This record gives sequence, structure tokens and C-alpha cells, in this order.
Amino acid sequence: MERGVLFALIPVLDLQHRLSSWVKDEMKPRERVEIALNHEIPDRCPMQISFTPEFAERLSGDLRLKDKSIHNPHGGGNTYELERALGEDMLLTSVGWANSYYMDDKPYVDEWLVGWKIQPYQTPYGTGHYTEIVGHPLADNDAIGSYQAPDPHRPELYSASQQMITEFKDEYWIVGVTVTTIFETAWALRGYEQMMLDMALNPDLAEYILDIPYQYHLVAAKKLVDLGVDMIWIGDDVGTQNRMLISPSMWRQFLKPRMANFISEIKSLNPRLKVAYHTDGNINAIIPELIEIGLDVLNPIQPASMDPEQLKKTYGDQLCFWGTIDEQHTLPFGAPSDVQAEVRQRLETVGRGGGLILSPTHHVQLDTPLDNFWMMVETITNTPYSSL
Amino acid sequence: MAAAEGTHLEQISRAVVEGDREATISGVQAALEANIDPHTILQGALIPAMSDVGRLFEQGEYFVPEMLIAARAMKSGLELLKPLMIGADIKPRGRIALGTVQGDLHDIGKNLVGIMLEGAGFEVYDMGTDVPVDRVVEVIKTEQVDLIGLSALLTTTMPMMESTIQSISEAGIRDQVKVMIGGAPITQEYADKIGADGFAPDASQATRLAVELISK
Repeated sequence: MERGVLFALIPVLDLQHRLSSWVKDEMKPRERVEIALNHEIPDRCPMQISFTPEFAERLSGDLRLKDKSIHNPHGGGNTYELERALGEDMLLTSVGWANSYYMDDKPYVDEWLVGWKIQPYQTPYGTGHYTEIVGHPLADNDAIGSYQAPDPHRPELYSASQQMITEFKDEYWIVGVTVTTIFETAWALRGYEQMMLDMALNPDLAEYILDIPYQYHLVAAKKLVDLGVDMIWIGDDVGTQNRMLISPSMWRQFLKPRMANFISEIKSLNPRLKVAYHTDGNINAIIPELIEIGLDVLNPIQPASMDPEQLKKTYGDQLCFWGTIDEQHTLPFGAPSDVQAEVRQRLETVGRGGGLILSPTHHVQLDTPLDNFWMMVETITNTPYSSL
Repeated sequence: MAAAEGTHLEQISRAVVEGDREATISGVQAALEANIDPHTILQGALIPAMSDVGRLFEQGEYFVPEMLIAARAMKSGLELLKPLMIGADIKPRGRIALGTVQGDLHDIGKNLVGIMLEGAGFEVYDMGTDVPVDRVVEVIKTEQVDLIGLSALLTTTMPMMESTIQSISEAGIRDQVKVMIGGAPITQEYADKIGADGFAPDASQATRLAVELISK
């Protein structure tokens, strides 16, 4: 069954009508998010979901949506038809290097001169494609001095954001996305292992390279704040499955001061602005310092890496959580009942007292059964806090 | 062991652990000039140093960058020794082919495992990333490996581990090698389910697993 229990008996033509009534709630999505991020309890837990392009296509087909544009999981240039049909509460608009993901279906070089290849993979639901980084413009030391980063001041970079803010801000919580903020873009430019070697052996050079994306994304984030986004989402993966990728002291040396300044500068433009930070993996060691530098929301909390319930107990009064639905085991390989149990468990633990936005811990992948997907959406949207 | 020899080996070992390539090279050169046997330098300095690096990693003192620079130092020392050990009939501890499975390009985990295995005296045959199932079968047939190490970061590519093991079995060569697997979404339960011989959660533990598997 590909449409979930709720829809099994509904004639196809009624599907969209049913869906829109099903997600009709008393609270506006933006209000729901605002309350949750204020550590209070909204009507139900806010929800945010992104997808790989092929999953989005499969889902659009399941929902009989007319939108045939290619879905960008970071929110660059999307129509938001899918997100709104599902009853999501936050809409994402992205400016920066992360928009280079899923840019084409054949090999390409982005405007940062990073080279990409198309990497197919097989799932029970068809062939998917990742875009993977294969060319690093600063791999050669000689290329570093003359490298020109793209210009973040070009007005056309912000036109899609401006349009979606005008169209949706009244209803939705708008997130300006500048993920891959510092380290991830830097290593795309330099090479993953080489960037880490530089950080260990040649700190001045590392600082120079890290500053390139840092400066770019700071300009972009400030512009997005000016345009009226409610939250800025920054991100750099510094966690591995069970520990940090780099040591906390190396993080303090290279990334913490930049993140602190980034957060401080954008918050000075709008004191009500919230800041979320994405990193995969286990970063337990630096969470107190993320709070110290002004972080409001941590994303995505992979439950196989960090215990969401424990984080809530330790930091729940100072930090909100966005994510927590396991994308490594439960969503792709679990049964719908496992998905339901996990969502309910999160609501009862991390969601206690608000401070939670439920989301899968990554873009939903093509290997995810639709039954599991729908169970996640249904359980989130049909479980009022009052019923817990 | 002569006191001078011990000092030389300690200096080399310390240089590797600290990731100091220049000090490793000069230390190895000094040891060779002092007529210390290359095999002794390998067994008494480089390999114990990488074992220390693994221990520091497991203890949470070292992270990926520290492992990378230690490996770089160790390899520079090893390069000086290799030409001198040709013909000495020194057998590696074991021979392992490593690869990231078909569809997956992520190689940092595989590379770290390779570093630690080389540091433990294994000979590593790197199959690279996005390794087709047939390629693994071919490597087993032609490269005289004792072990196969398969890595995957993604839930969408980890099923290729099962396909690879199936193909090895279908080719009738499953008993020629032990297969160990690792990567972010991998668990012991998954390893058991697909018939792998072992799973390790990180590069240091992968080395211990490899030692254990080849001694079986």
C-alpha cells in the first residue's frame, strides 16, 4: 500500500480535499512554530520535512500534485506546493553554496568552481541520484591566492526568497538557509582530508580558506534577515556517528569564533531572530558552547548518535530541538508501527513543554516506504499535545 | 636493545604520534645511519606509534585530523624503509582489500581504516569508492587477499554490502576471505543479517577486528 492507512479507502479525486481538511488546524503554522520555539506548547508539534528530488517526485505522484519542478531539499527556488500540502509549518529558502546540491542531472561545475558528478544508486523504489563533490578548486596551493569567490551581493540571488517571504510569511515560519556555512564549503573548495590537514598543520592557511565561505554566507544571512525571515539556519557537519570529527579544541580554534560572530551579527539586525544550527552526528562535547554563543535551535539530533531525551533533560530549558526522527534505521527500514512509536516517544519526551520541531534527520531518501512516510506525517499532525 | 637504539625508536615513535613528518623522516634517517635494522624501525617505532594513535583515538584524545597527520608522518618514514626491506622476505600481517560499496563515494571512513591497518602492519589494497560487486569478486580471485573491508555511509547504498557478499558466495570463493563491514548506518545486527564476518564502529576497532579475523 503506497498511500498510507488514512487514504486507503478515499477515492483519488477526494485525496487533495481530504488532505487539506486533514491538516486544517486552529493555529497558523508560523504561530505554532513561534510558540514551540518559545518553550511553550502549541496545538500540535510543528513539522518540517525535506526530500531528495526522487522522493519528492514519488510523493507528488502519490498526492497527484501538478508541480513538476525539481525539488531542492534546501529550499532554493521551490514552489512549496508539496510542503504546504503536507501541512508543514516551516518553509525554507536558501542562498549560498548548498544550492549547488542537486543542481543538474549531468556532471557540472558550480559557480564556486566546485566540480560535481552524478552518482546513481538503486532502491526498492527505483533509481536515485546524488550529486557528489569531486572537484576542489583550491586543491592546489597555487590556486588559493588568486581565487575569487562568487559575489553574495547580486540582487538576483535573493529574488526567490523575497517572493516567497511576501507570499508565505503571514502563514508560515520562514527559515533563511545558509547551511554549509563555513567548514563544509571550505572543504568542498580545498578537499576534505586536505582541509583537515591544513587545520592541523597550517592554521593560517586554514583560517584564510574558512573565511571565504564564512564571509559569503554572512552577507547572505544578513540580507535574508533584512528581507524578513524568522530564523536563520546555519550548518557545518562536525560530528561523526559516535564522536566529533575534529576535536573540541580545534572547533574552538577555527569554528566557534566565526559562528559566535555570525550569530551575533545577524541577531543584532533583528533581536527576535532565531538561529538554528545543523550538524550531523555526535557533538555532545560542544553543545554548552553552542548555547553560550547564542544558538536557539539544534538540528537534526540523529538518535543513533545522540540521545534526544537526554539532550532535552540536560539542555531543554536553553535549547530547542529540530529533527530527531531516525533516518538511518526507522524511516527506511522500520515498520509503520516503529515510526509511529518513535514519533510518539519524541512527543512525550523531547516535545514535553514545547521546544521541539519534528523532522526526519535528513532529506527523506528514496529508500523510504511511503507507508512509513505517511505514518510519520499522520502521527505528527494528528497528535495534539492535549492528547499526550 | 641498546640504549641508543631505544632512544632512536622512541624519537621516531613520538614524531609519528605527534604527526611531525619532518621529525619522523630525520629520526628514521638517523636510526638508519646508526645501523638500526629497517625491520626493527618498522616493528619497534612505526607500528607501535600507530597503535598509540589508535589508543588515543579510542580514548577521545585524537580525532580525524590528528590521525591523518600521524598517518602522513608514518608513511613518510615507511617510504624510507621500504626499499631497504625488499628481498628481506618480510611478510605483512595480512592482506586486505578495502572499498566503499557501489553507489557510494564517501571514503573518509575507509581511508581511516586503511591508515590504521597499514599502521598495524597489514598490506592494504585500496579498491577505491563506488566499487562494483564484480570488482570485489575479481580482486579476491587475483589479489590474494585474506580480508575484504566494505564501507558505506548511506542507507541507500548499504544494501550493496549484502549484494557483494552474495556475489562472493555465488562465485564460490566465500571461504577464501573474511568480510568485515563498517560505516555510519551499519550495526552488528546488520552484519549478522547479511552474513558478514564482522563489524567495527571505528578505524581503531576495525584494526583489532582484522587481527582477530585473520587469526581464526
